[in-house]
Amino acid sequence: MTRTVLVVDDSASVRQMIANTLKGAGYAVLTANDGREALDRTRGQRLDAVITDQNMPNLDGIGFCRAFRAQPGNQGVPVVFLSTESETSIKEKAREAGAIGWMVKPFDQQKLLSVMARVVGP
Amino acid sequence: MTLRKDATTTDVVTFRLSGEVLAVPASLLREVLEPVDIARVPGAPEFVSSLINVRGTVVPLADLRVPLRMPRDEIGAGARIMVLDLPLEGQDAVVGIYADSVHEVTRLDAATMEAIPTVGSRWPPRFVAYVGRWSGAFVTIPDLPTIFADYLASQQSRPSSGASGAITQSEAEPV
Amino acid sequence: MMDEETLALFRSEAEGLIESLEARLLTLQTRPTDRELIDGVFRDLHTLKGSGAMFGRTDIAGFLHDFESAFEAVRSGSFAVDDELIMISLAARDHVAALLAADGGAGSGEEAILQRLAAHLKGGPVADGADAGEWMLRFYLPPDTLTLGGRPDLALQELRDLGATRTRALINEIPPFDELDPLNLHLGWEVALPGSVSEDDIRAVFLFHEQGLRLEMEKAEAPEDAATVDAVPVADHKPEEGARSPRSGQALMRVPAERLDDMMDRVGELVIAEARLIEIAGRSGDPALVAVAEDIQRLASAMRDTTMSIRMTPIGTIAGRFRRLAHDLSDRLGRPIAFTISGEETELDKTVVERLTEPLMHIVRNAADHGLEPAQERCAMGKPACGTIHLSARYSGAEVLISLSDDGRGINRDAVRARAIERGLLPEGAEPDDATLFDLIFAPGFSTTDEVSDLSGRGVGMDVVRRTIEDLRGTIEVQSEPGHGATITLRLPLTLAIIDGLLVETAKERFVIPLAAVDEIVELPEALAAEGAGNAFLDIRDSLVPFLRLRRILDSPGQAGAYQKVVVVTSSEGRVGIVVDRIIGSHQTVIKQLSPLHAGVKAFSGATILGDGTVSLILDVAQLVQRGRTMSDNGRQAA
Repeated sequence: MTRTVLVVDDSASVRQMIANTLKGAGYAVLTANDGREALDRTRGQRLDAVITDQNMPNLDGIGFCRAFRAQPGNQGVPVVFLSTESETSIKEKAREAGAIGWMVKPFDQQKLLSVMARVVGP
Repeated sequence: MTLRKDATTTDVVTFRLSGEVLAVPASLLREVLEPVDIARVPGAPEFVSSLINVRGTVVPLADLRVPLRMPRDEIGAGARIMVLDLPLEGQDAVVGIYADSVHEVTRLDAATMEAIPTVGSRWPPRFVAYVGRWSGAFVTIPDLPTIFADYLASQQSRPSSGASGAITQSEAEPV
Repeated sequence: MMDEETLALFRSEAEGLIESLEARLLTLQTRPTDRELIDGVFRDLHTLKGSGAMFGRTDIAGFLHDFESAFEAVRSGSFAVDDELIMISLAARDHVAALLAADGGAGSGEEAILQRLAAHLKGGPVADGADAGEWMLRFYLPPDTLTLGGRPDLALQELRDLGATRTRALINEIPPFDELDPLNLHLGWEVALPGSVSEDDIRAVFLFHEQGLRLEMEKAEAPEDAATVDAVPVADHKPEEGARSPRSGQALMRVPAERLDDMMDRVGELVIAEARLIEIAGRSGDPALVAVAEDIQRLASAMRDTTMSIRMTPIGTIAGRFRRLAHDLSDRLGRPIAFTISGEETELDKTVVERLTEPLMHIVRNAADHGLEPAQERCAMGKPACGTIHLSARYSGAEVLISLSDDGRGINRDAVRARAIERGLLPEGAEPDDATLFDLIFAPGFSTTDEVSDLSGRGVGMDVVRRTIEDLRGTIEVQSEPGHGATITLRLPLTLAIIDGLLVETAKERFVIPLAAVDEIVELPEALAAEGAGNAFLDIRDSLVPFLRLRRILDSPGQAGAYQKVVVVTSSEGRVGIVVDRIIGSHQTVIKQLSPLHAGVKAFSGATILGDGTVSLILDVAQLVQRGRTMSDNGRQAA
């Protein structure tokens, strides 16, 4: 079964890169520019995982995550942060907001795929 | 180990059984237990009709009232079980005996101990080692080695209850 | 030297292969069984390695060797593609790319990749090589793992891919049902991993579970070949196939026998304490307590098995004493006697072996004294001048059969009968069958010392032999063929210490029936429920089985209720049903010998202590079956 992943990042190139890697590995990919758009995209959409940036206009990653979790049916969908930030305090905030993991940019394809494998399975 | 007839003094534990004061050598007493769950041994003679668990060991529970021909009223709630180290057939063994209540450890000296008069006693003389005085009353010291040895001998001379023998046949009392 | 152009060609070809390898590996991840892809990956690796070697790039060739082997194993079907293999292969692909670009510059991380591959292969079916100990992991993922979309199954799968050998769920933190929040993860796991897996790889598994993760990991040293403890001289211990015998080349350790006894006592106490714990835990309904109790139960039963196996002693260890005895007897009686033994590797609980020695020696003395004829007599009968006494031992189910045979004159029926009548063991004029008659040899008072030589005498009669065997919960059978000799067979349980028992209840009293003897449990038909109703036989699948009411045998008070059960027990002698009020369940039974004060009570082979601390008696199945047999005989006579 194809797994669907939502990629949220305000950088088009990063989005593209992640999307291509995931598509190459057989995932279906949805993308969003920022947290607000992401929330719109997730409504009524069954997802297997979300990869999101933290610093984004309109609604940042943590804000998105909190709102995402508050929507019915989104419990149990893993949210992974992909960010240049790596402070413990912000990671903890993300965790409280409902994120399962945090990856630090830059990353390589291989690492991304191994993370996805850990999060949603093969 | 046991009460010697030539002992000049001996420490005994006095206890009450069926209205009489008895005593056993303190050196034999391992511990005194509150009444515990007892397991009946179907077919066993009344003298040793049950088993108890003493700290993980299965210990036979003997009723001295049987060989001493004492009245056998219901065992009361305040009863105790005295756990004794008592060699059986030359092997170390542990045996429990009933007591209505256990009093104290006291020293009896030879002057106050006398052999049981053979006439006029209601005790089977063979089974009484000595009679002493304690707190102005008589205290009887049963001869436990003889009581148990006689019982064991009576068991061995019993016809072997073979395959067809009823297990619950009424047993001869060991006296 | 290679020319630039060829080298460039090699490089471009290698780059192509690396690219192709990567694409195939990534696709393989989603289609791990695709044969074409697997073949393709193997080809890429093979060509890379081969051309690398050709162009002097031994670094690449050497590095790829193990990967080529791995995929060869995949091709042959002995190893499966999984994520970890893909991950490692991708890492390898990157490394090769780096090597190629650096043109010989030593790449870093090579060792790590190869180790990871080795660890992974070890976990799979192609595992081999030295064992570097074992990791024991205990972990509880954060309780909110499930809410956050965490996948414990993936973490476990990853551990399996790392080569986890054992995985066990830890349920001790699961709260009582009414406090259970299904969204919270209360489970933990205990996982054993090969020691060759790196700590980093293990930690990486928990990458997404770090916050709130409780992880304990410790590395146990490589298990050496388990030290075998042997309490007996092993001089004439012949190796035997099967688990009981120590393999040759293992270190043996001598241990004072009493330490083994102490150990068995402790294990016995442990089993009893464990039974109490299980009972208390069961009543409490506290899952954490139940979990611990179950752990203890598992450990205690393993401990029991290990301890009992340590105590097993080959019967051959006492063979030397019999040879010596035969030699002495031969000397004194002036007849040639040979002692032979078979099955000397047969193992018994050491207590059994020790206690058997005297009875067996007595039987040997008897055989030499009464059984074997003087040489002239033997020759006259056409027998070899040298008489033979043979001891054989073998397993039969949960029992050990030990036979002592002689090739002498056999048991003189008439003499035994006359002696029995003379001793008042048999009524005048009785004509019993062989079994009954030979049984009298073991009756107290049968053997006396008056006419017996100083060899057989010694104050130990055959009655003592029987008593010892019965104390060991064994039975004795005698066979004799006039002129050809006699065989005395001892049937003994393998161990004395602990058995599996069936706990039953009658009139509120609980008794244990050895489970090994239990054939089946059936419902007592309504028509037979009341005492005295119908005959005393059950029709079980067209065979008549006599039954005994435990209430009656034990003189229990009160009346039986409805739904009584019949426990059908069996021995070599036959089957008999035992009617009980209720079956409670199976019970690990630590057998305590009854005191000599209860030697006269034949219905029980011992006692045990139950979980609640009360004492329960163990029914003697052989006795019960014999009673059943007597009933059958009477029934037949009446019919």
